[in-house]
Amino acid sequence: MASKDEVRRQLYAVGDMLDKEVKIELGLFLPIKTYLQDPLVAKQDPKFGFSTLNVKWEPGLRNGPTSARFAVVDYNGDTGTLVPPAKWDNAKREFIYGDTKLDENRVDEFQFHQLSVWTHLQNALLFFEEGSGMGRRIPWAFEGNRLIVVPHAGYGQNAFYDRHSKSLQFYYYEFDDKPVYTCLSTDIINHEFGHAVLDGVRPYFTETPSIETAAFHEFMGDISAILLILRNNDFRNRLAALYPGGLSDARELEFLAEEFGKTVQDMEYLRNAANDKTMEAVKDNPDPHYVSQVLTGAMYDILVKFSEHYLNVRKESPKKAFWHSVDRMQRVVVQPLDLLPPVDVTFRDYALAVLRAEELSNPTDPGGYRDLILDVFLKRGILNQQEVDSLRPRHRLYDSFHVDVFHSIEMISQSRAGAYRFLDDNRRVLFIPSNEDFVVADLYEVNKYSEVAHRLPRQYVLEYIWREDVSLEGVEFGALTGQIVTMLCGGTLVFDERGNILSQFQKPGSQLDPTQEPTDASRAAAEIGKRRLERFKANIAYNVRIGQLGINQESALGLLGTRMAPFLIRTVNGTTRFELSPHLNITENGTRGDRAWEISS
Amino acid sequence: MGNQLLVRLYNVDVGDCIYVRLPNGNEDFHILIDCGSLGVKSILKSALEHLEQELPVDAATGKKRLDLLVATHIHEDHIKGFDPEYFKNIQINHIWLSAVMDPAHSQAEHTLRLHNFASQKMRELAVSGLALTPELESLMALYSITNDGALDALRVDLPQANHILPKYVHAGRSSNDPDLNLGLNNQTTIHVLAPEKDIDHFYLGQAASNLQGFTAFSNRVRAEAAPAAVSAPANISASDFRLLQTRMLSNLLAFADLDGATQNNMSVVLLIEWRKRRLLFVGDAEWDNAFKDGTRNSSWNVMWNKRQAQLNSPIDFLKIGHHGSINATPWSSANDAEFEPNKILDAILPLPQAGSKPSAKAIVSTIRKNYPTIPAANLLVEIGKRVGNTQKYKSKLEEAGKNPNVLNLFAEFEAVMLDELQPTRTDIEKILTGQDFVEVTIDPAD
Repeated sequence: MASKDEVRRQLYAVGDMLDKEVKIELGLFLPIKTYLQDPLVAKQDPKFGFSTLNVKWEPGLRNGPTSARFAVVDYNGDTGTLVPPAKWDNAKREFIYGDTKLDENRVDEFQFHQLSVWTHLQNALLFFEEGSGMGRRIPWAFEGNRLIVVPHAGYGQNAFYDRHSKSLQFYYYEFDDKPVYTCLSTDIINHEFGHAVLDGVRPYFTETPSIETAAFHEFMGDISAILLILRNNDFRNRLAALYPGGLSDARELEFLAEEFGKTVQDMEYLRNAANDKTMEAVKDNPDPHYVSQVLTGAMYDILVKFSEHYLNVRKESPKKAFWHSVDRMQRVVVQPLDLLPPVDVTFRDYALAVLRAEELSNPTDPGGYRDLILDVFLKRGILNQQEVDSLRPRHRLYDSFHVDVFHSIEMISQSRAGAYRFLDDNRRVLFIPSNEDFVVADLYEVNKYSEVAHRLPRQYVLEYIWREDVSLEGVEFGALTGQIVTMLCGGTLVFDERGNILSQFQKPGSQLDPTQEPTDASRAAAEIGKRRLERFKANIAYNVRIGQLGINQESALGLLGTRMAPFLIRTVNGTTRFELSPHLNITENGTRGDRAWEISS
Repeated sequence: MGNQLLVRLYNVDVGDCIYVRLPNGNEDFHILIDCGSLGVKSILKSALEHLEQELPVDAATGKKRLDLLVATHIHEDHIKGFDPEYFKNIQINHIWLSAVMDPAHSQAEHTLRLHNFASQKMRELAVSGLALTPELESLMALYSITNDGALDALRVDLPQANHILPKYVHAGRSSNDPDLNLGLNNQTTIHVLAPEKDIDHFYLGQAASNLQGFTAFSNRVRAEAAPAAVSAPANISASDFRLLQTRMLSNLLAFADLDGATQNNMSVVLLIEWRKRRLLFVGDAEWDNAFKDGTRNSSWNVMWNKRQAQLNSPIDFLKIGHHGSINATPWSSANDAEFEPNKILDAILPLPQAGSKPSAKAIVSTIRKNYPTIPAANLLVEIGKRVGNTQKYKSKLEEAGKNPNVLNLFAEFEAVMLDELQPTRTDIEKILTGQDFVEVTIDPAD
């Protein structure tokens, strides 16, 4: 007879076939009680204090906690010491320290903090990977598969994701003679994890001089925090009791990182998702956090409108309405990520991807959600009236892909080499210059859901990129004058199981291919490429002017965070590349120009 | 002796060694402001030997006479040359030091603690020979052991040798105060505009709690830590762990950086008013966005808010701060005229009216090392629009048959703006003239 462990492993292997409630019943989830939001909120309103999260059990759980995708390492850079890890007790199937379970009665112990941050991260990963999310395993952007999590990295008002060290680092500080641990803030954990996820699925977004692309990263952090907390049943049901009329005044949801905001900035929050900011209003602001609020605000508007729709049109109870709202929003927010171009994303790109993903998962749209979403993007200035007018009519769900050389979807999706041959044979229609040695950036298959457990047809996503060399000439480029930088170009193609094209995003280069006879389409693509190049150069010049570019201040001693510019410059193979810095200066307002990154020697 | 005021900056690598000669009745008044360098010490010895020749003989002692010695702040590039040996033939009549250099100053308790902490830690780290970026090496160099001797000389050795007491000065004091009387006639007043006396409050503010919190929590973390034998985590590889350590925020570097900035902001800023002329010597005073009471502030913002009556009008001479660094002259091209730093620069060095030439003068003591913002070319060009003693150095070098490429990192940081008007630079003037100093003269305006 099989042991309990063997049975559990077998059930784990077929877990995707089982409903979550069944899996909980079968012990495939571990109930772990931790802070719902953060210690300050818990103190102010105990009803928002703690919550039991059901974390997916894995056969390989170990001390740390350590799981397939996360390794908690409680190393402290200030003291150079390691705190002993929480221990996995396989017999009791719980994390312990000493001989007893780590639970909400041990919140002051560092091992509880280790378990708490890991719990939230496991929960967040599931949110992104499940069918209502991306419907696939999320890769990390670095070489490796375990994200290192450092819950007590050192003293400071900071927390960040860092690709180079494969880590999420959480710092702590003092307020009113008491410690504030950023690793205990659910919003901060989920925000930083949002960066890690986006970097994993679109690693070239960080190679940019664009404030808007940097802002998209911040948006991902904030919207992840909002949706993840709203997914929590205890939190959502409490909101339902407090705000039966809808989510429009739900301060507990719209306020982000309350404890951090209160203790660092003496405000009720670090950022507020309920805002009226438009593209026009933020166009001259150099701070990606600030600019991100337009898109966060737009998606929050959509969430609120969904809640009102379910309450007022469908006449659902607040509990049910809020559940349906977040369930739909998870798909609306996360599923479009796979459609996005591989480089140089804009808010407009994301808006178009949201609309296309919505069309694919909800083609008949009986609730009129598409119009609702369009109206929000128009109001925020993310799409203009002309675009909205052209997008309002329904489009075909799929189309034949008119290519020069046909390849079956089986051949394309078999390997990156197979996908390359397809792309190479069709450079002309994809506007890939004949002299560019492009690469297949990613190739994967996704299994997404529309409504709960309603599977969508399987999709295949193919991303490709190349680099267009750009010579910078002119005083506006400061120290970069005369240097060669690279503008990333490329595209994302999404196919269905039959090889029909479901979605296509292109970021063309600025030059017509001299070996091809120009067509109207290739001229139009080159025009778009030229406009991209102008924006690319303007972004560089702007960052030079306001001093947002700097070099990496990395050393054997660690990073000098206060002097790391938001955009870093690296030289690779004789060309200059840009890189978003880990956002180390949470409270820095970035108006000091070059002076901000100058070391005071 | 004459009717002109002379300001001379010796070419001392990255450093300041400034001589001011003031007409003062029948005799001139001789001032030395700073004597330091990040370069070799012998360069300072040579500068002082040159200066010594020009100083008058003190009738009482038979030595050469220096009326006032000022050390703006304790960084090596400002005090390394204060070696008693170099001054053995010079009678010094007065020594003014920054208030923070007084170890007993009660309102600098946290600032001094921060400095001592940063010094201790950075010196411990320095012996490990870690590879650092040029910027971080400069930061570490601030804590050189050689500074200790200079500081002792300023506080003890030189005062004793000259039978005087050093005066620790702060904003609001001037040569008109009886205890700071320098024997100047009524045509000259030397005002101290910075630092404010309450150093912890104005220049450290809430940042003072960071060191306390850091220390307290480090102790807490040590108490939680695994036994020392456990030096590596069991759940990641050794190489991943090493990489992680290099990519964590370093509080030691952050405190050293904070201390570096704070010490710069402790610079004695002197406004010399002489026969309706105004000369400003700013040490390495830094600027920030705006003054905020109760938080950490930079010196320029504090002066603008607390000493505006003296600062808010055009000056006739500026000793450009911090070797032309972007952080020591209040200006930002990214912001408009209402931005506080830009208001300050517009007040002291206004842009000339169309068709007129600026009459103010400025000098920067500088040399390009590996540091992009010392000097900051765009800042020098901006100052070049506001002062009269300017050069298009690229053309001047070419006319003199010198290749501008001799400037370190010419292509990276100099080429782009070297043919725009820039104020007098010690480094390029040395190439052009071979002379070890640059100087300007100021005529009286009364």
